[in-house]
Amino acid sequence: MQSENVIEMLHITKEFPGIIANDDITLQLRRGEIHALLGENGAGKSTLMSVLFGLYQPEAGTIKKNGEVVKINDPNDATALGIGMVHQHFKLIEVFTVLDNIILGAETTRMGFLQKKAARAKVEALSERYGLKVDLDAKVEDITVGMQQRVEILKMLYRDNEILIFDEPTAVLTPQEIDELMATMREFAKEGKSILFISHKLNEIMAVADRVTVLRKGKYIGTVETKDTDKQSLSNMMVGRPVQLEVVKETARPGDAVLRVENLVVPSKGHKRNAVNNVSFEVHAGEILCIAGIDGNGQTELVYGLTGLEKSGGGSVTLCGHDISHASIRQRGTQMSHIPEDRHKHGLVLDFTLEQNMVLQRFQEPQFQHMGFIDRGAVRSYAEHLIEQYDVRSGQGPVTIARSMSGGNQQKAIIAREIDREKPLIVAVQPTRGLDVGAIEYIHSQLVAERDKGRAVLLVSLELDEVMSLSDRILVMYEGEIVGELDPKATNVQELGLYMAGAKRTTKAGEQV
Amino acid sequence: MKQKLSSLYGRDGTKAVLASLISILIGLAVGSVIILIVGLANPALGLSSAWDGIRLVFGGLVSTGRDAAGSLTFGFNPTNMGNMLFRATPLILTGLSVAVAFKTGLFNIGAPGQYLMGTAATLMIALGIPSETVPAWLIWALAFVGGILAGALWGCLPGLVKAFLNINEVLACIMTNWIAANLVTWMFDGSQFRNVVENTKSGYIYKTSFNGVETAKLGLNKLFPNSQVNGGIVIAVVIAVLVYILMSKTTLGYQLKACGSNRHAARYAGINDKRNIVLSMAIAGGLSGAAAALYYLSGNTEFFWSTYQSLPAIGFNGIPVALLAANNPIAVIFTGCFMSMLDIVGLQLTNLTAYNEYITDVIIATIVYLSAFSLLIRMLLDGRKKRKKAMVAQAGGTNTGAGPSSGAQEGGEQA
Repeated sequence: MQSENVIEMLHITKEFPGIIANDDITLQLRRGEIHALLGENGAGKSTLMSVLFGLYQPEAGTIKKNGEVVKINDPNDATALGIGMVHQHFKLIEVFTVLDNIILGAETTRMGFLQKKAARAKVEALSERYGLKVDLDAKVEDITVGMQQRVEILKMLYRDNEILIFDEPTAVLTPQEIDELMATMREFAKEGKSILFISHKLNEIMAVADRVTVLRKGKYIGTVETKDTDKQSLSNMMVGRPVQLEVVKETARPGDAVLRVENLVVPSKGHKRNAVNNVSFEVHAGEILCIAGIDGNGQTELVYGLTGLEKSGGGSVTLCGHDISHASIRQRGTQMSHIPEDRHKHGLVLDFTLEQNMVLQRFQEPQFQHMGFIDRGAVRSYAEHLIEQYDVRSGQGPVTIARSMSGGNQQKAIIAREIDREKPLIVAVQPTRGLDVGAIEYIHSQLVAERDKGRAVLLVSLELDEVMSLSDRILVMYEGEIVGELDPKATNVQELGLYMAGAKRTTKAGEQV
Repeated sequence: MKQKLSSLYGRDGTKAVLASLISILIGLAVGSVIILIVGLANPALGLSSAWDGIRLVFGGLVSTGRDAAGSLTFGFNPTNMGNMLFRATPLILTGLSVAVAFKTGLFNIGAPGQYLMGTAATLMIALGIPSETVPAWLIWALAFVGGILAGALWGCLPGLVKAFLNINEVLACIMTNWIAANLVTWMFDGSQFRNVVENTKSGYIYKTSFNGVETAKLGLNKLFPNSQVNGGIVIAVVIAVLVYILMSKTTLGYQLKACGSNRHAARYAGINDKRNIVLSMAIAGGLSGAAAALYYLSGNTEFFWSTYQSLPAIGFNGIPVALLAANNPIAVIFTGCFMSMLDIVGLQLTNLTAYNEYITDVIIATIVYLSAFSLLIRMLLDGRKKRKKAMVAQAGGTNTGAGPSSGAQEGGEQA
């Protein structure tokens, strides 16, 4: 019992100018447990882990390992104490091979020469033992995100780390990869390694963690055993109010077709094969049509083809009865809202203020300009109205630079802007990616509300939960083609997964192939 | 009061000004050190000349020569002041040219070429239309507009290849610079504008005053007697204000800046990014063309034409002018004046000491270097502010919630 806690972080306080990221937080990690750290974006999870990993120095509080106080000044100290971390954004050198990345910083050398043979043997043994399949000689830039994560895990194992920190490890994985990762984590725990698992996905936490510590706005809320709790009470703890986990919506009442896509082809960049090949579908007013699929199967290019960001290579797109196959982005924008996949690349001009971003498409409308001069007062009051109505939080209101806002609020700003344009078609691409339950609940309810107002919603999502709960109809994309149409009420996640993996497909007529 | 001061200090604009001032001071200091070293190393100069030189570096603008005893005298020097304003005129405009392009995410290193094309168009119109039949003011206006259009056209070329072929505008600008240089030589070579009246010179083009075309003095010659100043400086200042209004108040400026800071987002929003890139380079080119027009329409400047044309320094010096001004069109007025002041300093050094004017080139070079570092200096200023705040917080002072930008940014990162 005396050394049950491997790591104890006691009364940790970490401040940044103008914000207390961690306020008197205590976290105790037992040997051989999987301990989840749960909290919304900005709750201080990553900061706390960065303190443990030696990236930040806390203003107050102590860290103990096996009951002894330790001082962690930098990541080297952390490694020496057996603490390893898989960061949310991988820290790999893209042009190095997998093996080079694994041994980097812990190389064995003789007379200044690398001794790769021994390293290779050790990595191979580890990879075999835990079923972490990697290609040691491939360059990191050429391997999948899932394999990159396995490389990161092997890096920790290679350094004989006993305490493993996973910072939102599932955000980038496919459902199958998530299952594998969970199995690996359980394996580690069984061997006596201790795991800290940062996440805001309740399903995963309930599935894999033994205990959960919840943070909210930098404060410690509590630690509970997963077997004594459920998703609902965890999310209430995390958000601080009762949260609606299931999407509440009535049966859709689809009207006329708003968007009609016929035999659309979008050529691929760099590949000979078309990214989108001969795709046809319709989206009706008052329904949410979801395009499901594993990332990289042509969903992005399909949206580019619809919105005009990419030229189509054939086929036709009809929006509200007008052929827009060759229309400009602005012309299409008169009938279409677009919540883009990449909010930093397309969604926002990060160096502009929030109010400037709010009128990105509308600055030329008469209400925002007179004779070519921008009416700042009108822009300001419009931005204030959106900020208020959609609860976009920022440091300085309308004049906040978009770059300084949190990811969730950036996304809320985009959603506010796009929904308020009140167009018959809303194209929403991964609208909740990287967001926490509170924000997801909000965005889902907004999309359902828009549907109920009679708008057509085309949703592209990689999250199976989102696909199943939000959509009225599901189209599955695989390798640039639509391989099946499913009814969310009549199907399940397993069947959907088979379609997504290309193992199953139905033709137009509905017969299985 | 103190709070007011600190809030002023915290503003980004203040920091930009401070950073530029620090660059300038370090540049002048380095120039002084070089003067000192040269002075000590050269027995003909010595410490006292070095001291004179250093004083001229800082106060060349207000030096009035030497008194009977041979020591430097200082005081208001209207000639220097007027000449400074005259030389600042084209620098302000090329500075604006570079600044506008920078604001829209483009690096206009093509100002020299645009300036040359503006020169050619201005001189050909000003000298080519006979003033016996057409009133001089009309020729002036046509030549001015012609210079702007020629510069704009030349600026368009790199813009077009950037927008449609995705060729880096820096490469295209450098190439169009040399094309302009040789094109202008060829055009004047075959023209009848070569100065054959003042036979002592060869390789010059007529001054526009030969045709009676000159920029109005607007009484500035009375304010600054014996100087070259004319109404051009007023036009340059007005243009700077117009550019400021264009960039910060109009929908066009909004579009240009949106394309500049995120071309993808601009395209997503339906803004025609290609058109805006070309437009931005055209505006930049037009400003450089205006610089040439105002310089040569002064009536007392001559364009040197020879078989081999080099690129005009005024074009390149637009880059430090814009950098020092942190691309703010209004600040460009002041940094343009500052750069031309350094010219005056160089002249004063040559006239009053045994040093030559090239020392000012060293100072300019240092300042250019440091203006590239102004971001670093700004960061250092930020660091000082943060440390101060930490001290205040430790002393038990109330957290004023200041530093929201940096605080929020870090807050966002650790989310």
